[in-house]
Amino acid sequence: MSLFRKVLFKIAVLIALALGGGLTTAWYMIEAGSRLSTRTFGPWVTWAAAGRPDADPYTRAHTARNGLLPLSSTLELTFRARTDSNSGRLSSACDYAVVMDEFEPAWWGLAVFDGQGRLIANAADRHAFSSSTAMREPDGRTVIALARDARPGNWLPGGRSNRIILVLTVQDAAWAAGVHSGGAPKSMPEILRTGCR
Amino acid sequence: MIRPYLQLSKRLLSQLLKQLLALIAIVRLLFPGWLRRRWQLVVASVLLIGIVHICATLAAPVFSSGHAYQLLRDKLPPNRMVVLPPQAPARQLLPYLPPDMLYAMCRYDLTGGPVAVTAVVADAGWALSLHSPRGGNYYVLPGQQQRRTEVSLLVVPSGPDAALIPRRESPTDSHIASPTLEGLIVVRGPLRGLAWAAETEATLRRATCTQVKR
Repeated sequence: MSLFRKVLFKIAVLIALALGGGLTTAWYMIEAGSRLSTRTFGPWVTWAAAGRPDADPYTRAHTARNGLLPLSSTLELTFRARTDSNSGRLSSACDYAVVMDEFEPAWWGLAVFDGQGRLIANAADRHAFSSSTAMREPDGRTVIALARDARPGNWLPGGRSNRIILVLTVQDAAWAAGVHSGGAPKSMPEILRTGCR
Repeated sequence: MIRPYLQLSKRLLSQLLKQLLALIAIVRLLFPGWLRRRWQLVVASVLLIGIVHICATLAAPVFSSGHAYQLLRDKLPPNRMVVLPPQAPARQLLPYLPPDMLYAMCRYDLTGGPVAVTAVVADAGWALSLHSPRGGNYYVLPGQQQRRTEVSLLVVPSGPDAALIPRRESPTDSHIASPTLEGLIVVRGPLRGLAWAAETEATLRRATCTQVKR
């Protein structure tokens, strides 16, 4: 192989490596996030600077690419869970209990979406519960049953979309400040798998 | 645009360095002598990967066709508050947008003058928020438990655009400087069940967004 061809080959390899490596790592950091831009509490992941005008470039790219319209994370935090508390992927083929024990921010909402962030059609036309609509247990806990078929109490239909994502929105500036200062929230909801088909 | 990157740079560099050292150790273990022969290629690759990574990350919000403002632009007339129907699978406004809320939105355009906004933020979960077209939330007024707040704002341009449009002095309005000439005003109220839906909608319908002519 002539010297010219060798140099050309090396340049081609370099460009392929740079494009492949650069685009793949950027895509990963924008879509999945990392410890630089997200905070994780059990199965719950939040983009720590979401909505803020001074957000880091990964958070801004994540917000833009996914068509999100978050409130500033200094006031409201949005957590997403793709797995249960035992790291099993959330699936509409299984039933789950989302247990909120001593979880008392000023306002919270819990919604279920499919893997692309779309609402899941169901006969009950129910997609979410919030601190205003969920019933409490006699012991003060709130338990939300995420299941395909009807359940007594706070039933959130999981539909038949296979992969599902739970989104927990917490609106409480003091609670958010606690998370931003590096501390873990006193108590985050647990996602317990109760059965599978 | 670069400033947030610089804030991240310390943590980013230490993490990247750790990962790079681990990678070098693995390559040296698996292919002894290879790194010594090809070190120029490795250094050039790492540098180029870094450059492409940073360019792709910074370009993503600029060239993304799916951000919220673009998705809502066609549904919202300029400088008019619109109460949107409750979200459902067939008529979802945006991905992952909480479905247990009713939304009133206004797409503002300050080129013809400032925009006056009035709204009621009725309780916990309610919020009035102002967003730039890239999604940055530069102003938010959250609702408080059992406390009804009537809000009156005047959205005015900031920066070099401010010189183009004269500001009106008004004793009742708070002036909020918008970083861009266009953006979104969102008033949202939680749906607390069927019995309360009409009240939530009526409160949202009281929200206004009107351009103040020069």
